Amino acid sequence: MKLHLVAALAVLSSTPALADMRVSIPFAAEIGGKAFSCSETYAGLGSTGAEVKAVDFRLFVSNAALVRKDGTLQPITLDQDGQWQTGSTALIDFEDASGGCTNGTKALNTTLRGIVPAGEYQGLSFTVGVPFEINHGDPTLAPAPLNTTAMFWNWQGGYKFVRIDMVPTDRKEDGPKGWFLHLGSTQCDAASKTESPKACKNGNRIDVQLDSFRPDGSTVVIDPAPVVAGADLRVNAPETSPGCMAFPKDPDCMTVMTKLGLPYMDVAAGPQALVSLR
Amino acid sequence: MRRLLQTAAASVWLAVAVHPAAAETFVWPLPAWMPPPVVPGDNAMTAAKVDLGRHLFYDARLSADGTVACVSCHVQERAFTDGRPTSVGIDGTTGHLNAPSLANAAYLPVLTWANPHMTTLEFQALVPLFGEAPVEMGGAGREVEIFARLAADPYYATAFAAAFPERPQPDLFTVTRALAAFQRSIVSVASPYDRFKYGGQSDALSEAAQRGEQLFFDHRLECYHCHSGIHFTNNLKTIRTSTGGGEAGYHNTGLHDPYPDAAPGLIEITGREADAGRFRTPSLRNVALTAPYMHDGSIPDLRGVLEHYARGGRAGSHPQKDGMIVGFEVSPREVDDLIAFLESLKDETLIHNPALADPWPEDHPARARRVMP
Ligand SMILES: [Cu+2]
Repeated sequence: MKLHLVAALAVLSSTPALADMRVSIPFAAEIGGKAFSCSETYAGLGSTGAEVKAVDFRLFVSNAALVRKDGTLQPITLDQDGQWQTGSTALIDFEDASGGCTNGTKALNTTLRGIVPAGEYQGLSFTVGVPFEINHGDPTLAPAPLNTTAMFWNWQGGYKFVRIDMVPTDRKEDGPKGWFLHLGSTQCDAASKTESPKACKNGNRIDVQLDSFRPDGSTVVIDPAPVVAGADLRVNAPETSPGCMAFPKDPDCMTVMTKLGLPYMDVAAGPQALVSLR
Repeated sequence: MRRLLQTAAASVWLAVAVHPAAAETFVWPLPAWMPPPVVPGDNAMTAAKVDLGRHLFYDARLSADGTVACVSCHVQERAFTDGRPTSVGIDGTTGHLNAPSLANAAYLPVLTWANPHMTTLEFQALVPLFGEAPVEMGGAGREVEIFARLAADPYYATAFAAAFPERPQPDLFTVTRALAAFQRSIVSVASPYDRFKYGGQSDALSEAAQRGEQLFFDHRLECYHCHSGIHFTNNLKTIRTSTGGGEAGYHNTGLHDPYPDAAPGLIEITGREADAGRFRTPSLRNVALTAPYMHDGSIPDLRGVLEHYARGGRAGSHPQKDGMIVGFEVSPREVDDLIAFLESLKDETLIHNPALADPWPEDHPARARRVMP
């Protein structure tokens, strides 16, 4: 009888269990080490040292987990806030619709919020991207933030995982509209011509592992500068999307995808250089 | 008193005009031989929804800068195409593909030229609205502003409520559903050929067109292998289609070798080498109205298209070229006959149907800044 009572109490208290720990992981956006702002210009970028304005800066992260002392992963249960986080997926949004960010939203979301069981953790892992299982649903029925049209990528099936839009300040009159870094899954084949995709040849999700992360002081930094270091941001290969949008056969992507930790055409994946820790 | 009565009567009439039979089910004006199209479970066809969709279709306020409406690339007089080789979006951005006719799009199991994921008109609408490669209507990131703009219009204030009583505002769901419902209402099955073939009117086709029909369905030319069936395309889905998803046909017609990266065909999505240069077979209904031709608008007239196929494709032998495209010999008279036949697929009732026409007055903000082809 006594045992039963204890069990019942445990069930009752399981909602805000004492053993749970809140985590709020801060994210920061930078370009070349300088804080991102919709009205700032950034110099010395890419292979030719271009100066750019940045007009969008958003990304999806998913499947975040803290790393226990023994190296195993403890998934973070995200707060379901009805705006930025749904399931295990969150939209991190650094633009505030000011300045050049004309396609943006005023609201910002610069933290990942959820709970884990209390304990000692010494690392963070997450995926940049939307999980395959929800990436190809109907976005007109999807909950926020999966209804954010600026992140739609429907013609390829799914969402843009990363959207960092840069516009060179000294581009020629007939030069490219901008140098946009868009990442999403490509070549998503289906079993038949009239079914939703079964798999994507290029999932293009970035697995991020940050070993020295501490829950009480680390900040996750997103900076595209090292990713585009080998690209000329003032030009765009003719007949391709402006910048690198992850589509196969785009010369503008040749130096870029490998630095996102992804294989591209005949270039092997290198270490990802988009995400770091401070 | 009399004046009051008049006012009351006028407002009743107005209310009726604004809500054309709100919940009334939409009925296609179809002949008995044409089965109705399939309608998705979450988008029942009602007269109110179709009418709302028509207003949205012609409303340039759906684009970021108020200059591009659906009609900017899909004009009724041209069987809902735009006459350009490739379409133009906001800021003069040109795309890589030719605007396909919307007539009978309701019967297609898969939309657009080469994307197997576009299985409903509801989903497809997201591409022109929010697409960025290329930009068409430029709505990405602007949906709040665009929907607010619509909500402020007195017509929409009541029309969304009439079409979607449970969800009476412009949003991603209602706008795409209404646009799809209107497009699903665009059917075209009243050509001279239909009167000849199904209506028992043996004089509906000229002698030349009848000879052209024989050539079209002949093994020498093989036109009908891909342009088969009731809509002259091997893409068909009706409520009677036995295969659930319908039939979908894509072909490499030897137009280019190699196909340019900007419009490489189905391979862009599937990544399969076998899909290089493969594009969905378009319907030939109203084909006399939909020049220029091919997925990239690269052939200006029907004679050029016939020449292309007579030569077995203009780009020699692309490795994925369809086996049906082997070339043939035709005399100039046979070409004339074939063109007479293709012209008999033109449906005058489609291009003059007031139910499909622009509902907005000329000076209305919906069309004040609208760019037409
Ligand atoms: Cu893009």
